Amino acid sequence: MLARVANNLFWMGRYIERAEHLARYLNVNYFSSLDAPNEKSQSRELVLHSLLFMANGPVPKDYELTEQNVFFDIGLNKDVPYSIINCVKYARENANGARDLISTELYESLNKFYHFVLNYDADFFVKKGLYDFSTQVAESTAVLRGKIRGTLLHDEVYAIIMLGVNIERATQVVRIIQSKYYDALKSQGSYGDKFSKSYEWVTLLKCIESYDMMRRYYKKTPTSISTLEFLILNRDCPRSVMNSLVQVNNHINLISRDKHPEHNSAAFLIGKTHAEYCYKTVDKIEEDVELFIEEIQDTLIEIAKKIENEYFKY
Amino acid sequence: MSETQNSIFASYEKDSKFYDEIFDEKGNVKKVYQTLFDLYSGHSSQDFAKLNEKAKASFFNQGITFQVYNDKEAKEKIFPFDLFPRIIGQKEWDVIERGVLQRSKALNHFIWDIYHDKKIIKQGIVPLDLISSSENYLHQMIGIDPPGGIYNHVSGTDLIKHSDGKYYVLEDNIRCPSGVSYVVCNRTALKRALFGVFNHYNAHSVTDYAQNLLEMMESVKPRGVDEPNCVVITPGVYNSAYYEHSYLAKAMGVELVEGRDLFVENDFVYMQTIRGPQRVDVIYRRVDDQFLDPLEFKPESMLGVPGLFSAYKNGNVCLVNAPGTGVADDKAVYTYMPQIIKYYLGEEPILNNVQTYHCSRPDDMKFVLENIDKLVIKPVDEAGGYGISIGNTLTKDEIQKVKKTIMASPRKYIAQPIMSLSVHATYIEESESFESRHVDLRTYCLLGANKDFVLKGGLTRVALKKGNLIVNSSQGGGSKDTWVLKS
Repeated sequence: MLARVANNLFWMGRYIERAEHLARYLNVNYFSSLDAPNEKSQSRELVLHSLLFMANGPVPKDYELTEQNVFFDIGLNKDVPYSIINCVKYARENANGARDLISTELYESLNKFYHFVLNYDADFFVKKGLYDFSTQVAESTAVLRGKIRGTLLHDEVYAIIMLGVNIERATQVVRIIQSKYYDALKSQGSYGDKFSKSYEWVTLLKCIESYDMMRRYYKKTPTSISTLEFLILNRDCPRSVMNSLVQVNNHINLISRDKHPEHNSAAFLIGKTHAEYCYKTVDKIEEDVELFIEEIQDTLIEIAKKIENEYFKY
Repeated sequence: MSETQNSIFASYEKDSKFYDEIFDEKGNVKKVYQTLFDLYSGHSSQDFAKLNEKAKASFFNQGITFQVYNDKEAKEKIFPFDLFPRIIGQKEWDVIERGVLQRSKALNHFIWDIYHDKKIIKQGIVPLDLISSSENYLHQMIGIDPPGGIYNHVSGTDLIKHSDGKYYVLEDNIRCPSGVSYVVCNRTALKRALFGVFNHYNAHSVTDYAQNLLEMMESVKPRGVDEPNCVVITPGVYNSAYYEHSYLAKAMGVELVEGRDLFVENDFVYMQTIRGPQRVDVIYRRVDDQFLDPLEFKPESMLGVPGLFSAYKNGNVCLVNAPGTGVADDKAVYTYMPQIIKYYLGEEPILNNVQTYHCSRPDDMKFVLENIDKLVIKPVDEAGGYGISIGNTLTKDEIQKVKKTIMASPRKYIAQPIMSLSVHATYIEESESFESRHVDLRTYCLLGANKDFVLKGGLTRVALKKGNLIVNSSQGGGSKDTWVLKS
C-alpha cells in the first residue's frame, strides 16, 4: 500500500470517528442537561461551555456563548476546523485519495453522508434541528463503521483505518471524560451534591453510549470511581480506553509483523502502553485524574506521530 | 403508434436533413429498436421522469461526478446519462472495429517512423512542416524504442454518422482519451434503472475493458521483468477525470499513484509504500507529456516525477501512452490518415475521413475564406470542443473575426464541411419526453505487444441542447449506454 494512501485511510478513520463523538456529545449533553436534578447542571452556560470545550479545548474569553453560536460552530461552521461539517468533509477528501482501495459501498455511504451534512439547513439546525441533525450524524457514522467492517478485506487497509478509528476513539473518550470531569467539579454544591455522586457521571456515560451497559455491569448508580473504571479500564466496554488500546495493539501488529519491535517504534510504544493498562487500577487514576488525562493524551499523540513517521512518509 | 408512444414521443421532430438512428425515412421504427420501443411503450412519461431521477441520484451518490469551475467555486456535477440506449448491430460494428484497429496500428507505425527514420516525410507522403511546426513533437523522443514498439497503447477514435448513413472519423485521440469509465457506469445504471430491458437483447459486455487494459500493460513490460508492477498515475483528486483514474486502478486491482508517491533512483522508478520503496514497471499515465518530468519538460510541474523520462529512455519503465504521441492526434495529421494507412499497412482505409481543408495551403485557404458559412473551423491542437466555429451559426461580424484569426495563423486552423451528426431519441427533462438530439461515438482501442483489443461498445455522446452539434461534456453533453449486439 502507498504511504500517502495509508495516511489518507488513517485520517479518514479518525475524522469519521471524531464526527460521531462530536455529534453525540452535542446531542446527549444538551438534552440531558435540560431536566438535570441540579440547578448548576441545568445552567445554560455550563452546558454550552462544556460543549465548546469538548470540541475545541479552552473557550476564548471573548466568545459569545449563545446556543446558536455554539451549535453552529460545532455543527455546520465551515470556517472553524473542529466543526462536524469539516470532519465529514475531510473524511471524504481522504477517502477520495484512497478511492481505488476502498469498496464502492463504503465510498457511496460516506459520499451520501457528506452531501447530507453539506445540504443541511443551518438556520433550521440552530433553531430546531439539533436533535435531528446530531442523531442522523451518529447513525451515518454507525453505517460507515458497518461498511468498513463488512465490505473491506480485513488486511492492511482495514488495519490502518482501524488504527485511525481507535486512536481517535480513545482521544475523544478521554476528551469527553475531561469535559465532564470539569462539569462535575463545577456543579458541586447545590442540594448537597457530592462530586463522587454527581449527575454528570450519568451524562458522561450516556455521551459515550455506555450508560445501560454500565448499569448492567455494576447494578448500581454510577459514581465517579465506577464510571472512570468502566470507561477507562473495562476491557469489554467497546468505548473504553482499554478496549481502544487492545485494538490499536492488534492492528499495529498486523502491519508491523515484527515480533520484537525496536524500542523507539510505534509498535513498541503501543505494546508498552497496552501492558501498562493491563495492570492499572482505578484507585491510582482517581488520585489524580487530571494527571492521568494529561498522560494518556500525550501518549496518544506520541503514538500517532510514530505511526506517521514509520508508515506515512512519502 | 399507440397512444403511450405518442405521449412519450410527442415532441420527437423528424428532420430529413439528418440521419435518424431510430426511425427510417417513412417514420417507422427500425427493426433493431422495435423490441426496445415496445418495452418503453409500457411506461408512462411519469415513469420515465422517476427513472431519470433515480439514475441521476445513483450517479451522484456514487460520486461519479466531474468538477465544473466557475468564477467562485467548483461545482460537482454528474455527467448526464440518457435512458435510451444506442444499439449497433453486429455487421455494422464489425466495420467499426476493424477500422478503428487499422487506424490505431497505422498511427503507431507513423509515430515510430517520425521519431526514427522519417521515411514518410523523406518520400514526400506527408509534408515536413506537419511535424516541425507541431508543438506536440517531442525532440526528446527521437531514437527511443519504447517497450514492445508501442506508442499509442490506448486510443479513442471519435466517429459520427453523416446524413448519407455512413460513419466518418472525426478525430483520433491518442494522448489520454477519457470516458471509458462512463461506458461501464452507463451500462450498470441502465441495467438497474430499466429493469427487464437489457435481457431482451444479446449485447456484448463492457466490463472486460479493465482486464484487457491490464493484460496490455503487462505485455509492454520492460526487459528483464517477469511480473511487472503496473500502476495508474493521476494528477490527483482535483482532476476532472479523477473518478475514472480511481475506477481503472480499482478495476485492475493496481495502485493509483500521484507524482509525489514516486521517485527515481539510478534510472529505476519506485513508489513509497508503508513497507518502503517498491519498484514500478509499467505506468498508465493520465498526466500530460509536459507535466511528466520536471527535469525534462515543464520545470515547474508538481505532478510529475523528476528523472522519470531518463528511466523511460533507459528502458526501465514503460509509459502508457508514450510521450510525444500528441503529434499524431493533431487535426492536421488527421487529414493525411488515408495516405498514412496506405503507406504503412498497404491497405485501403476502412473508415472514412471527413474532407478537410488546410488553411496553410493557399488554395484551401481561398476556398475556406469564401465559404465560411458552410464550414466548421477548428484549431488543430485544441481538445474538449474549444475554439470551434460553426459557419452557419455565425453573424456577419463574427465571420469577419474568424477570417482575421485564420489569416493571422493559417497553420493553426483546418476547415471541414458541416457534418450532420445523426440524431437519436433522447430523454429531455424539461418536456418529460423523448426528442431527437445529435450523437457521436467514441470507441476505445488498446494496442500492446502481440495484443490488441477494441471495446465492444463505446461512449455515445449526445448534445442535450436542441440543434447543438458539440457533444463534449464540458459543453453540456450527455451520454448513452451503447449496445453492440452479438448477432
